[in-house]
Amino acid sequence: MKVIPVYIEAGISGFESPAAEYKELNLSLEELLLQHPNATFFGLANGRSMEGRGIFDGDVLVVDRVEHVSNGSVIVANFNGCFVCKIIDTDKGLLLSASDENKPIAITEADSFQIEGVVNVSFRLHKKLPKLLSCLA
Amino acid sequence: MFGLIDAVSFYARCEKVFDPTIRNKPVVVLTNNDGCICAVCPMARELGIPKFIPYFKIKSFLAKHNVVVRSSNYELYADLSERMMNVIARYSDRHYVYSIDESFLHFRNFACIDDWHQYGHVIRKAVWCETRLPVGVGFGSTLTLAKAANHASKKLAGFDGVAVIDDHSSRKEILSRMTLTDVWGIGTKLGKRLSMLGLKTGWDLANQSPKSMRSQFGVVVERTVNELNGMPCLNWDEIGQDKREIFSTRSFGQRVSDEHALKAALSSHASIVAKKVRGQQSLIKRLVIFASSSPHDDNYYKKSVIYEFPVATDNTLKIVAAISYVFDSIYMPGIMFYRCGVGAVELENSQFQQQDMFNVTVNNPQLMKCYDSVNHRYGSGAIEVAVAEKNDKWAMRRNFLSPGYTSKWSEIPKIIC
Repeated sequence: MKVIPVYIEAGISGFESPAAEYKELNLSLEELLLQHPNATFFGLANGRSMEGRGIFDGDVLVVDRVEHVSNGSVIVANFNGCFVCKIIDTDKGLLLSASDENKPIAITEADSFQIEGVVNVSFRLHKKLPKLLSCLA
Repeated sequence: MFGLIDAVSFYARCEKVFDPTIRNKPVVVLTNNDGCICAVCPMARELGIPKFIPYFKIKSFLAKHNVVVRSSNYELYADLSERMMNVIARYSDRHYVYSIDESFLHFRNFACIDDWHQYGHVIRKAVWCETRLPVGVGFGSTLTLAKAANHASKKLAGFDGVAVIDDHSSRKEILSRMTLTDVWGIGTKLGKRLSMLGLKTGWDLANQSPKSMRSQFGVVVERTVNELNGMPCLNWDEIGQDKREIFSTRSFGQRVSDEHALKAALSSHASIVAKKVRGQQSLIKRLVIFASSSPHDDNYYKKSVIYEFPVATDNTLKIVAAISYVFDSIYMPGIMFYRCGVGAVELENSQFQQQDMFNVTVNNPQLMKCYDSVNHRYGSGAIEVAVAEKNDKWAMRRNFLSPGYTSKWSEIPKIIC
C-alpha cells in the first residue's frame, strides 16, 4: 500500500506550509516503468548484439512475463540453458540480433527454448553504481 | 465452492526459475545449515531420493547422478511465494494463505462459473505465466474435499494439475484412490487405528457413520467424515488457528562447546520465539529449552528443561532471562553441542489473561512495541538483548546458496545479448 505521509503537528510552530494541502505521492520509477510488477524481473545485459535496439553491455533489462509476444518483440528466452536477449521472428522461428556481426539463429526442435518475457524497458547507468558493480565483474 | 492451490515441489522449483542451467536437471534443497534434504524436484524424486535424509548420508549418491544441491534460499522463496499468492488472490473473493506454497480459496459470488475444471486451468496458466511455478488446483464443496482434489490433481494418474469434486461420482472416484493418511487431518497414528477397523481408502472413511466415529475417535474424525460427504464443518478461522506451540531451533554451523556461545544461541532463539508469540497475541506460560550433541555422535548428549512463568508473558527480557535460570542444568563442559532451541509449549491468549492476585504482570507492552518496530524498520537484530549477541559460528551455514536474483542488485540474472 502506498501512503501519503501527513505529519501531525503539535504546538504552534510558525505558519503552516502553503504547500501542505497539495502534497501527493512522489514519483516512482517502478510505477512508471513496470506494467506488471508481479510478473517482472530484472536482468543484466551482457554482450553487444542488441546495440541496434539500444541495449548495451551493462544495461539493466526489465523483463515482463505477461506482455504479449509478437513478431519483432525484444524478448528474453531460455535458449539451451542460457538466458538470451534477442528479437523474435515468430514467422520464421528465428532469433535475430540488432547488430551486423551476429547472424540469425534458427530455433530447431533439438534446441531447448522457452520465452521468459518481453523487454519493453531497459535502462543504462552512465556512471557505474557500486550496488551493481559486483554483477558486472 | 472451496479451492486449494499449492506449488509442486516449491523450493526445488524456485531454484529453477532464475537458473536456466538447471531447469532440466534433478535438484534437491537442503534444510537450515545444510543438514537434511527438505525438497526434491520431480526428476530427483525419480532417482528415488527420499526427503528428510541427512545430506552427508546421500552425498556421494547425489554426486554420482549429477544432482544439483542447493541451500535454502529463503529470500528467493519468500519473493516467489508472494508473487504466486498475488496471482491466486485475483481469482476468488476470499483467499487464505495457509503456508509458503499453499493457499485456500473460498468462492462465494461465483455462480457464473459452470466449468470449474476450466477455471482451474485458467488459474494454473496465470500462475505459470507470471511466476514460472507449476501449481496443483483442487476444488471441492468443503475444505477437506478441496484438499483431496488437490492431492488428486498432482498425484493421481489421469489428472492434469486440476481436479474437481462436485458430485457423487467424482467424489467416489477420487476418495477411493486415496489412502487413509492421504486424507487431510488423518495422521499416521490415527490411520493405523482406523485401518484396524478394516478401512483402507478415503472412500471407506467417508462411508462410516459420523456418530460412531465420534464415539471411537473423537470430534475431529467425525468432522472429517462429514466434510468428506460434502458437509462443511471446518471454517476459515479454524484452519487459520493460532499456533499452539512455537519453536525456534537450529543446528550450529560449527559445533559449539563454549558456555557463552551456547547461552547466546539459546537467548537468540528465546527472543525469536518471543517475537513470534507477540505476533499472534499470545503469552508464554511454559517454555522448553533444550540442547544436544549430534545423534550420530558416540555418547549422544541431550538435555531439555521446562521453565514455567509465574504469570504468562510476552516480554522478551523475561523470556531471555528464563534461559539464565535454567542454563546450568543444560550446559555440560566438554560436550560439542550440535543443536539447541527454545519452544513455547503452553500459550495463553493475551486478551483473556487470567490475572493473579499475588504475581503482578511482568509484561511491558510499550517496550515490546518499540522493540518490534525498531527491528521491523531497521532489520531484524537491530536491537537485541545483549546476551544474545550474534556469533559467526552458529550463523546459518548455506554453502550451496543460489544468488539473490530478486533481492540483491549485484546478483540479478545475467542475460546474454
